Amino acid sequence: MTGAGRPLFGEQTRFMLLLITPAALLLTLFQVVPIAIGANASFRDWALYNPKKTWVGLHHYEAVLSDPEFLWVVLPNTFIFMILSVAGALVLGLALALLLNRPFAGQKIVQTVLLVPLMVAPVIAAIMMRWMFNDQFGIVNAVLEGLGLDGQPWLVERWTAFGVIVMTDIWLWTPWYTLLLLAGLQSLPREPFEAAAIDGTSTWRVFTHLTLPMLRSVIVVCVVIRAIDAFRTFDIVWTLTGGGPGRSTELFSLYAYVLAFLTLDFGRGSAAAIIGGLIILVVGAVLYRVVDRIARV
Amino acid sequence: MMTSTTKFMASIVLSKLNKHYGSLHHAVKDVDLTIADKEFVALVGPSGCGKSTTLRMIAGLEDISSGEIRIGDRVVNNLPPRDRDVAMVFQNYALYQHMSVYDNLAFGLRNKKVPESEIKAAIDRAAEMLGLHELLKRRPRQLSGGQQQRVALGRCIVRNPLVFLFDEPLSNLDAKLRAQMRIEIKRLHSQMPTTSVFVTHDQVEAMTLGDRVVIMRDGEVQQAGTPLSVYGHPVNRFVAGFIGAPAMNFLDVTIRKEGDTRVAQSAAVKLAINEASARALEAWQGRPVIMGLRPEHLALGSDGPVSRSFPAKVEVVEQLGSEILLETRVGDARVTVARVPPETQVAAGDQVRLSVQPGRLHFFDPKTETAIVA
Ligand SMILES: Nc1ncnc2c1ncn2[C@@H]1O[C@H](COP(=O)(O)OP(=O)(O)O)[C@@H](O)[C@H]1O
Ligand SMILES: [Mg+2]
Repeated sequence: MTGAGRPLFGEQTRFMLLLITPAALLLTLFQVVPIAIGANASFRDWALYNPKKTWVGLHHYEAVLSDPEFLWVVLPNTFIFMILSVAGALVLGLALALLLNRPFAGQKIVQTVLLVPLMVAPVIAAIMMRWMFNDQFGIVNAVLEGLGLDGQPWLVERWTAFGVIVMTDIWLWTPWYTLLLLAGLQSLPREPFEAAAIDGTSTWRVFTHLTLPMLRSVIVVCVVIRAIDAFRTFDIVWTLTGGGPGRSTELFSLYAYVLAFLTLDFGRGSAAAIIGGLIILVVGAVLYRVVDRIARV
Repeated sequence: MMTSTTKFMASIVLSKLNKHYGSLHHAVKDVDLTIADKEFVALVGPSGCGKSTTLRMIAGLEDISSGEIRIGDRVVNNLPPRDRDVAMVFQNYALYQHMSVYDNLAFGLRNKKVPESEIKAAIDRAAEMLGLHELLKRRPRQLSGGQQQRVALGRCIVRNPLVFLFDEPLSNLDAKLRAQMRIEIKRLHSQMPTTSVFVTHDQVEAMTLGDRVVIMRDGEVQQAGTPLSVYGHPVNRFVAGFIGAPAMNFLDVTIRKEGDTRVAQSAAVKLAINEASARALEAWQGRPVIMGLRPEHLALGSDGPVSRSFPAKVEVVEQLGSEILLETRVGDARVTVARVPPETQVAAGDQVRLSVQPGRLHFFDPKTETAIVA
């Protein structure tokens, strides 16, 4: 390095900065700026018919937080959905991972087939499900009627519709759990399991006393990631029920979307989005703490 | 099972035991071995020779390709590990990391639904024997390697099994700790004599621990015998070189007759052979053989007759304080000399004579490497 006219950064550093610039720009443009705009909008009377964008302070926040629809339908729906979807896919994924962890004929094929849901776009999956559960010509009712049972108006009643939504999400996400848990299982040391086998441990006790505790950290990470993700679910609900019947299956993202883009009240929609963001921030942090505590034991 | 105080005889019999991995790899070949009740057998050999595989077949962790394993009066070939009533200590301890030491020790007994009071008593006894009392509440990762291995031993002891299996349990410990644990294991065995198979690649461990030492190579048992017999009468060059430290020296010599006596001769060496060996070497008259000399049987100087010593050039002097180790050159062979008194004046480059008792010579067939005179 020469002393005269030394640039601010070394050549290598400059090159590295150059390399991350596109990503940083993208992040700023599509993450930071929208959040800033949204946050700004949430304090204003921002609607297409009102060019003044009057500052209204916390008015929108008050409105959202006192909306019975938000408090008694959307929030409970969101959390019930989060819990059922995360727990359901976790249990199924774990079961599949345990099955796949022992060698059997056709293992490769099963592994590949299992990955199919991961490759299907959620919207496509939701459309498939909507057709399957269609009360007039869906295959589910056809099969039920073939068996002599009554077909159900699945997507027309709140809880059956909600059930279909949860099921779709579980179907979509089970392979993701399976993959991660299988990787976790395969990275576990072999000897403790051999010691347990010699010590005469039953399969169930091996599962509860060795496998689960040893997989704990992987499970915890999966749960935290998926819980946060499930909170933001939009696509499959929008495609399957559109939040209906009525607004009974609306989840939080849908609520914000409807406010902002259907009723075109950007201010209130933004406020709802930010409230949701804050809620998930808190939920995420708490979950992470809890989970980290459990994992460290 | 725990409550039965009188255990029936637990000998282990391996007959024509074989293990194939895939179609190509033959890891254990026709192993025949009988281990008596309460005997401590050390299975020793270089890494990859099939010791662990043999042990794991006894434990039931590995399928048997062919042959038979009996423990006590039962053929256990098709019994799962849990029904064999064996306990095993692993090289990396294999403790349950998320359980306390106490729970680790209790795990096997809880599997059998032994009452907690009995479990506590058994753990107290084991903790007493191994000095684990202060550690019972800790988790394995809060313990040193030596303490972890002690817990692993304790986990086996509390189960009071028919057979103890050890797979290189001391390999992860440092030299000093290894020596301590060796003594500990020896003491345990005398306190609660239990049929034991101890796998190690370290011949010192094998010799010090084993009532009997079994030397394996490439999946085959080379020799089984007491430490003294495998040291004194190795059946082939491999065993001779493997057992004993420093390792035995080997020289290429030819057997000749000089007057009445027979000698082993090369360009650099001429040593008289005693009568017993001479008889065995009768057929080798005029032919090349391999002569083996233990470093500790060589002495510096030539007080005796000249036919018992040969010249050597000192290349390296290793002063250990208690003794000197010499690396010397004899012709084009290297010869190690051990147990040279530490105050001996000797330096690299010195010409010396090395002498050896005729009865200490070993001779091996150069082709098959089996012992002619061991
Ligand atoms: N699971 C396995 N699959 C294939 N080969 C194996 C397996 N386990 C061990 N081997 C091979 O069998 C031979 C004996 O192994 P092992 O019994 O572990 O040796 P040791 O314990 O004496 O070091 C080695 O050559 C090893 O590579
Ligand atoms: Mg081994």
